[in-house]
Amino acid sequence: MTTSPRTAHIIRSDAEAIAVAHKLAARFAIEASVRDRERRLPVAELDEFSASGLWGITVPKAYGGAGVSYVTVAEVIKIISAADSSLGQIPQNHLGVLDILLQTATEEQKHYYFGKVLQGYRFGNAFSESKSKNAGAFETRIRFDKDTAQIDGEKFYCTGALFAHIVPAVAVNGQNQAFIAFIERDNPGLTVIDSWDGFGQRTTASGGVTLNAVAVPLSAVIPAHKAFDEPTADGPISQIIQAAVDTGIAVGALEETKRYAREARPWIDSGQDHGWQDPFSIAAIGDLEWRVHGTEAILKKAGQAIDAALLNANEDTVAHASVVVAQAKVLSADIALLASSKLFELAGTRSVLGKYNLDRHWRNARTHTLHDPARWKYHLIGNYLLNGVKPARHAWN
Amino acid sequence: MNALTQPIIAGQPLTKSQHDLHNARSLLDATLRAVRQQAQATDDPYVISRFGDLHIRIEVAAALLERAEDFLNSHEDDTEISVAIAESHLASADALNAVSNAEFELTGQRTALHGSLHDPLRWKLHLIGNFRLNGIHPPSLRSAV
Repeated sequence: MTTSPRTAHIIRSDAEAIAVAHKLAARFAIEASVRDRERRLPVAELDEFSASGLWGITVPKAYGGAGVSYVTVAEVIKIISAADSSLGQIPQNHLGVLDILLQTATEEQKHYYFGKVLQGYRFGNAFSESKSKNAGAFETRIRFDKDTAQIDGEKFYCTGALFAHIVPAVAVNGQNQAFIAFIERDNPGLTVIDSWDGFGQRTTASGGVTLNAVAVPLSAVIPAHKAFDEPTADGPISQIIQAAVDTGIAVGALEETKRYAREARPWIDSGQDHGWQDPFSIAAIGDLEWRVHGTEAILKKAGQAIDAALLNANEDTVAHASVVVAQAKVLSADIALLASSKLFELAGTRSVLGKYNLDRHWRNARTHTLHDPARWKYHLIGNYLLNGVKPARHAWN
Repeated sequence: MNALTQPIIAGQPLTKSQHDLHNARSLLDATLRAVRQQAQATDDPYVISRFGDLHIRIEVAAALLERAEDFLNSHEDDTEISVAIAESHLASADALNAVSNAEFELTGQRTALHGSLHDPLRWKLHLIGNFRLNGIHPPSLRSAV
């Protein structure tokens, strides 16, 4: 594992970000199936991804980045995920951390870490814990000394940590306030374990992290809890990336569905010569199409709502962003699962043959949509509409 | 005749979507008002999440209507415009249908709505699918609506 990256290109505009994403996605698509089948971690692809400048597009203009709209961020993640949703997911926490930096770091820290990101440094994450009471509870501790902090704990679902240059880790102090420590990948006491063997999102380089008396200077610690004590767009930012990955899975699965449905045999009772003439298959494609476009349209609205909340953060703008992002989350989870399942229905039994590996779309959809349950998003949206209750502020709303 | 039973004006391809979306919103408001009068219903997690579902469908309908309007006002070709309009019709009808069912389920009332046998949704699915799957263009916008 290298600790200093290739020099990254600096992207200057929203349009450039989209164009670069399309170019990369076309390349990433070529071996996506092989990587999944062999669980071959995308080392070279990640280097190319971060060197393209796409990992720095949210760095504000004041710090040398393009400060692109979150409509663009979601579009970029969607485009990459349509080609390879593992690659689309890997920058998820990196992008989330950049906003927490923006909201809670000192000026000096912002200049330092945004500068690193523009050079091509990748942040992994050591946030979630599989043994704590719930997703928002942390047992990893941070203890402050005079000029250092020490972190001890155990993490799981650490997407990206394996190939990160810096691993931001969440830890709580004695008052249960959450901090993020930016830990260099080669810092003694930090161990990243390649233990992710889920049936989907197989090449996300997720896995475990142990933190054993890891010491960092105070300048490497930010008071992350402030991003949620006050209304900020950080929760919706984390969530829109989730929704963008799932929307990308749906887009990719729908393209495959059309390709394979074209080749399906006609059903015996249809009276047709070709499978593509089947009126029920045709209508089923029509149904997927409008649902995918509806999801994409709401994903765009969610990006706009986040931009508005960033421009003017208050309880109302942040609640609105949370609600619209929740809509995108529900829709994208539904359509990713539907499209990746309809694929087989419309393409017929031959499409389940191992050589096509088409099940990767469904495996990826099922795995990634478990990040946080859509059933509680219906509740969040309904409670805001019916009772005027603003969504709780945390990284999952 | 009231706002919910106005006839659809011919020759305006998005009138049907606008009409269905407007009706869906009116019915949703009426249903919200009725449910808010029952204290136990506003705390019921299943009732709450049901409104989440309805709100999503309405927002999708609104977003696809806006998208179809953008297509109509842009230089998209006729087929892309026809497909976007068909998608908008489907989304608005889906929202209206869902809200109408929820109105009946949650309040016991059913507001009468126009049927749409003259402009069946199932053939909109066919129009979209036949173009996206088979590249078969629908009749031009001018004759289709």
